[in-house]
Amino acid sequence: MLTPTGLLLVTRALEFLLAISLGLQTLEFLRLSEATSAHGLWAWSVQRRDIPQTWLRPCLDALMRPSTYKTLLWLRLVAALCLGLWGGSLALVLFLFAGTVLILIRWRGAFNGGSDFMTLVVLTGLLIAYVGGEFVNPALAWRAGLWYITLQAVTSYFMSGWVKMLRPEWRSGAAMTIFLNAAIYGPLSPKHWLRKPGLACFGAWSFMLWEATFPLALMHPLWALLYCSVAAVFHLLVFWFFGLNRFFWAWLATFPAIVGCSVLWI
Amino acid sequence: MTSVLLSLYVLAVLASLVLKTPIVKGPWLFLLRAFFPNWKFFHAVGHVPHLYARAASIHTNGEWLWSDWQWIYPRRLRRWFHLFHNADVNLGLAQQNLVDHFWADLYDLPSGADAQDLVTYELVVRLVKAQLRLSHPTLCQFQFELRMELSNADGVTHTDTMMRSPELSC
Repeated sequence: MLTPTGLLLVTRALEFLLAISLGLQTLEFLRLSEATSAHGLWAWSVQRRDIPQTWLRPCLDALMRPSTYKTLLWLRLVAALCLGLWGGSLALVLFLFAGTVLILIRWRGAFNGGSDFMTLVVLTGLLIAYVGGEFVNPALAWRAGLWYITLQAVTSYFMSGWVKMLRPEWRSGAAMTIFLNAAIYGPLSPKHWLRKPGLACFGAWSFMLWEATFPLALMHPLWALLYCSVAAVFHLLVFWFFGLNRFFWAWLATFPAIVGCSVLWI
Repeated sequence: MTSVLLSLYVLAVLASLVLKTPIVKGPWLFLLRAFFPNWKFFHAVGHVPHLYARAASIHTNGEWLWSDWQWIYPRRLRRWFHLFHNADVNLGLAQQNLVDHFWADLYDLPSGADAQDLVTYELVVRLVKAQLRLSHPTLCQFQFELRMELSNADGVTHTDTMMRSPELSC
């Protein structure tokens, strides 16, 4: 059973890691202001046609104006800083949640795929905790929020592992080499160890099995710590090969919830 | 009780892997797809859309002289600090996602509809222009095509051209 102090530790760790993730994302968005300017590739004047309701377009035009969008990003950075330093509040989390949804619409639903999805999951978990805390016992609301984040995080690994295991090209290890060759940092060097079929197969099976058995992390806090430690190394490797730095931070923010929930029910 | 609920949840997720359900689509579902993550990363190997483009310059006899087709694909140098700040790489990945979405839009396009009306078409035109200008600063005419490429561990084994744009002026 998680003690009140334990719950506080978990929630603070979660908010702190989420704040880092949001802060780093926002700094990147600010750096990419040119891409979302009127002359940039992602000009809103083009993307606004994605919005099916023509009456809604002028409202979003106002929000997506480069100066307004930039202000939103700066406010998000300040909000992330507040979340990290002093913890959340209903108003702060509502702002971060709504701001994130707006940013996702600005980037046609996602800028960086899964990391955006997981960021929204953690924010939704916080929203459950803070909104729920207004109506029921805050500790109970926090448990609901933590379980929401945990189930999504566990499902992300579990699903990702099993869909690969069902594919023959992953079971043989060939898929890993193919995806690595298409990575943004360039194809594997001709003598790279992952080009050897046996080693690629071993690598593929190692992380498929770890992903597919991830729900076991909830059996005991030590197991949760072990699974999350391996997950951190896994995300570092994904960053190293595919450049997906946001995935590392987005999933790291879920680990306190996973460890917390593994304690909650023993 | 929690263990029973958790076991049921795991079973439901497993069932979702096997059972086929209809795909629900819509503009808002696309824009808000972050609320419905399927968590299937890098799972399927098959034909992948790739963007190719070429630029034209005016020859001395007044005719257009076309360059070779050039692969428009993000490649960057790896740096350790990218773990903390990786704006350019993430922008490159977003551009490749745009190409994937363009392919999906083309695939779903009703017969008789014009691809040039697609938002993704217009964004891809902007992407091609920006990329070609890096190697052809005086770009004034260009063309692009979307190829579906199948790869194995050694490289591309099969290519199909899915669409070719008309010759476009800047």
